[in-house]
Amino acid sequence: MAGVFAYAPAIAALPFVSFVVALLAGKYMPKKGALAGIIATAGSLGLSIAVLVTVFLGETYNETLYTFVGGDVPFELTFGLLLDPLSAAMLVIVSLIAFLVHVFSLGYMNDEGETGLPRYYASLGLFTASMLAFVFSDNLLMAFMFFELVGLCSYLLIGFWFRRAGPPSAAKKAFLVTRFGDYFFLVGVVGVLTTFGTAQFAGENGFPALAETVLNPETTADAVNTFGFEPATWFAILGLLVLGGVMGKSAQFPFHTWLPDAMEGPTPVSALIHAATMVAAGVFLVARMYGFYALLPTVLAVIAFVGGFTALFAATMGVVKNEIKQVLAYSTISQYGYIMLALGTGGYVAAFFHLTTHAVFKALLFLGAGSVIIAMHHNENMWDMGGLKDHMRVTYLAFLSGSLALAGIFPFSGFWSKDEVLYEALVHGLGGSPLLLGAYAMGLAAVFLTGFYTIRMVLLTFHGEARSDTAEDPHGVRWNVKFPLAVLGILAAVIGFLNPLPIKKLTGLEVDFLHQFLDSGPEALLTSSHHYSGLTHDYAGYSVGTIGGGEIVTLLAGAGASLGLALLGAGLAFALYRGAEPTRHTEKLGGLQTLLMHNYYQDEYQVWLAEGLTLRLSGAADTFDQGVIDGVVNGVSSVSLFSGDRLRRLQTGIVTNYAALIVLSLLVLLGVFAALGGWF
Amino acid sequence: MLIEALIALCLLGAAVVFVAPNRFAHKLAVGFSLPPLAISLYMYLAFDGSGNALLGGDIAYETFAQWLQLGSYTVNYHMGLDGISLPLVVLSTILTTLAILSAWTPIDERQSQFYGLMLFLEASLIGVFGALDFLLWFVFWEAVLIPMYFLIGVWGGPRRKYAAIKFFVYTNIASLVMFIGYFALVFGLGDSVSSTGLPEIAQALRAGQLGSLGIIGPDMLALAAFVAMFLGFAVKVPVVPFHTWLPDAHVEAPTPASVMLAGVLLKMGTYALLRFNFTMLPGQAEILAIPIAVIAVISIIYGAMLALAQSDLKRIVAYSSVSSMGYVILGLIAYTVYGVGGATFQMVAHGLISGLLFMTVGVIYNTTHTRMVGDMAGMAEKMPVTAGVFVAGAFAYMGLPLMAGFAAELFIFLGAFESTVLPYAPLFTAVAMFGIVIVAGYLLWAMQRSLFGPFRLETDYEIGPAALHDVVPLVTLVLLIILLGSAPMVFFESIQDATLDIVATLGGGI
Repeated sequence: MAGVFAYAPAIAALPFVSFVVALLAGKYMPKKGALAGIIATAGSLGLSIAVLVTVFLGETYNETLYTFVGGDVPFELTFGLLLDPLSAAMLVIVSLIAFLVHVFSLGYMNDEGETGLPRYYASLGLFTASMLAFVFSDNLLMAFMFFELVGLCSYLLIGFWFRRAGPPSAAKKAFLVTRFGDYFFLVGVVGVLTTFGTAQFAGENGFPALAETVLNPETTADAVNTFGFEPATWFAILGLLVLGGVMGKSAQFPFHTWLPDAMEGPTPVSALIHAATMVAAGVFLVARMYGFYALLPTVLAVIAFVGGFTALFAATMGVVKNEIKQVLAYSTISQYGYIMLALGTGGYVAAFFHLTTHAVFKALLFLGAGSVIIAMHHNENMWDMGGLKDHMRVTYLAFLSGSLALAGIFPFSGFWSKDEVLYEALVHGLGGSPLLLGAYAMGLAAVFLTGFYTIRMVLLTFHGEARSDTAEDPHGVRWNVKFPLAVLGILAAVIGFLNPLPIKKLTGLEVDFLHQFLDSGPEALLTSSHHYSGLTHDYAGYSVGTIGGGEIVTLLAGAGASLGLALLGAGLAFALYRGAEPTRHTEKLGGLQTLLMHNYYQDEYQVWLAEGLTLRLSGAADTFDQGVIDGVVNGVSSVSLFSGDRLRRLQTGIVTNYAALIVLSLLVLLGVFAALGGWF
Repeated sequence: MLIEALIALCLLGAAVVFVAPNRFAHKLAVGFSLPPLAISLYMYLAFDGSGNALLGGDIAYETFAQWLQLGSYTVNYHMGLDGISLPLVVLSTILTTLAILSAWTPIDERQSQFYGLMLFLEASLIGVFGALDFLLWFVFWEAVLIPMYFLIGVWGGPRRKYAAIKFFVYTNIASLVMFIGYFALVFGLGDSVSSTGLPEIAQALRAGQLGSLGIIGPDMLALAAFVAMFLGFAVKVPVVPFHTWLPDAHVEAPTPASVMLAGVLLKMGTYALLRFNFTMLPGQAEILAIPIAVIAVISIIYGAMLALAQSDLKRIVAYSSVSSMGYVILGLIAYTVYGVGGATFQMVAHGLISGLLFMTVGVIYNTTHTRMVGDMAGMAEKMPVTAGVFVAGAFAYMGLPLMAGFAAELFIFLGAFESTVLPYAPLFTAVAMFGIVIVAGYLLWAMQRSLFGPFRLETDYEIGPAALHDVVPLVTLVLLIILLGSAPMVFFESIQDATLDIVATLGGGI
């Protein structure tokens, strides 16, 4: 089976081919490039599953395939593949959702009579290819390069409807904000390469392993160039720099502002990029180089707090939104906060678990929202909806499954993963890192809000009476919309049983499949989850603490708290928004509502930074340049021998005059030097 | 003799086209630009040089003949290529052909003279990159000014005369300063050299044979010469604060001349800096490392800020060149393989990318007769291919991975970050790297305003999709940029080979 690894590059190459095909020949093809994309992503999915099975059977792969820059250089820059449990699982998630989104696009784009479809499918194909290549990258530089290409595709797809004013502006904002984060990331990449001479993720020669040997007091390490800093300090700086890119792409505070605007893109794109995959790229990167972050307690704490804060902060804004995609956008930011929280608190498996379940249920929710938007003739305001459940059975049931997962209601997938995230934060907080309890508290508070805004969204959209003519008589959707919803709806309900930690702890059954899988693979790669927990224990001082009666009590108390809060939030929403004609309760919030609707004025200050500050500075620079620098140049020339008038008179327009002038000046120069040098 | 063949063919073409009737001029010029292109590509493939031409490496396509005797100095006809100059020669021939192709629409009067000058320009540029004797080099260096002066002054925009004279006088005065600097070194070397050849001077200087000149001691002399040459070349590059001729020249120049100006002429400055200052006087570069790095960083950030303030598409691209050339200076002062090699790679990459953007802006201008961002919106609707190329070119400029600009900037950042010559190298590099955010800002903003949104145009012209002869050069450039960005070793292999000896003295080798 290991032979399948030889074909692994095709996982990314196939969608790349579909990009080229859609770009060059899309307009001549029956579905304008959709079929090429569907076939390619189906192929990627098949190959990814084959890779996953092979990795599951114990084979892994970590090889350099292409030397980008080699020869006489201090360190080579290479491309290669790292196929271990983490990347194999992520490949399946990405290609599955990419495949379903391509199918869904037939219904959302083709059936709706969109133009510019070859451009759409080309961008989707390039996006899928870049994302998959990012996932199987074996080094940080390659990961950065495809990370950037993912950003390009996001720009192209958010701005897909370029004839309107909104999408191009949102696309620019998304790219600029993430580029700001990527600036730090690139400095980090350059720093890692120059520090370690390698950017490999895995193995004894990978930079996490090198960093560990440097920090380990028991080994005598080869000196690495830490630019005059203490190694631990310098590594923490590098870790924080890379984290800049992570926070940009994963829309963590304060870089979250681009994501709600990105909803200007077509809804399938929101599902694929801004929920399930591109935004996941950030947190995936932290997981990918967890061997490095696990060594850095300060950085871990930063990650945990950024995550916990973002989870809570974004959830509060989701509470008041009126448009279905806006609610989902803020819930996305919030859920990635949870994943960051897990990573920061040493919950590597929990983080990837939540990444997996979130990818499924958030893709589902966006596609469900897409189905609703088709039905509503592209009206996204929930206050114009209502009563849709009777008209669209499949969409409703699937959406409900995703919503319950998002709200963290037992036994839907989000319950298991969110619970595990919070459990990790709790036990490590109790076990000697009390700071983490603060991050935990924020995550826990967000559970209540999540339950509230999710159920509010479901009630307003599907329940009650229709509040507009379109909601009375919605547009129907076809199989190409229902099929992806059905697949994801079922997955969202059951995928939590990949890693039901409470069941394991209570019954002793070995049902933590994801944990076992992420723990497998050859020891030499140094990417297993027990290696990471060893590192967080040794270097970050993370250990497991419990409340009162031990692990099981802690587990049950934690799960009870989070489930209770989720139900409380859901119940409150139910009490407020049930019935045929729900009222707009958010108006009772008064000034708080204004603050929340304006997203805490985060956009305003960032726009001010760009337009109020940078643009004004550039205007001042331009005035200075024209007035002072160029003024001096012109001033010098006008007082010099060749005054302006004289110069113009020289402008005779005859070539020979100028040639003569140049030759003459050259001869004069030579003559001067000849005289000085005594040549004659 | 291949370089001579290249130059001779260009000159022959220039002469024939110059006297040909206007209506044949374009096709004739394209035809005459193709053999040099083919020869330069052959020279690339058959390249067998190694090492640095100035530091005793094996020079490829070398021609050596005694030319003049000036006092105790022999002036030789000495031509040849190494890994640094070869890519620049190839860049010159490729861009000349594409620029001539793209001139079909904008140049509608005195075509034969225009194309004749373009070919003459190509010959001079090849001479600049091929010459290995100072006086020979200087002849070509000055010769470049003549066609460019006329290309701007005759076929340019409304303020073409001002721009042409400013360009000519400014760079000529700079040449004078540089000339004095170089001859100060030649005289300072005294009897230890017998020619004005670049290799002989470079090796003598690196061997520490510089003596006193009058009352000026060798250290002071070297430093003064370094500064004089640096100032001379700085105008050509240009670096802040000597850059103000550039936007004027670009805005007034016709598109094909802008392509050559940004694509190749600016590289003469950085090429000369590398050949003269950084190869011949590494010790002085080290002494001046911090001021030079400060100039580089200011050029990057300040140039980008100026670009942000513009609303003329051509001015935006023009100022962004100031920014990009700042990266080259930063790479050079790093004195590492990645730094100096990356700087050289950036010369080629920026040549292609800025050429692409100028051409794209030119296509938009030819159709709309305006370049002002405020005069148009939603052009992507009417000119989808042009807009697509604009987006590709803009992202190349922003350093999108797998395009040439990213590779170049990455090399420079890597090289600068690990520099041991430049104090506080990581800090300088990190500040300089912020340019990648500003460049994204002004290009994305310009695209948002001009290409996207509801269609609107303030001028009364019929807008249609671009013609094939406009599209071919654009797409060719995009493909070349992607090729260089995905397989940088195409050029970087020879470049790093030629830079190793430059950096070795200061410990920046491997």
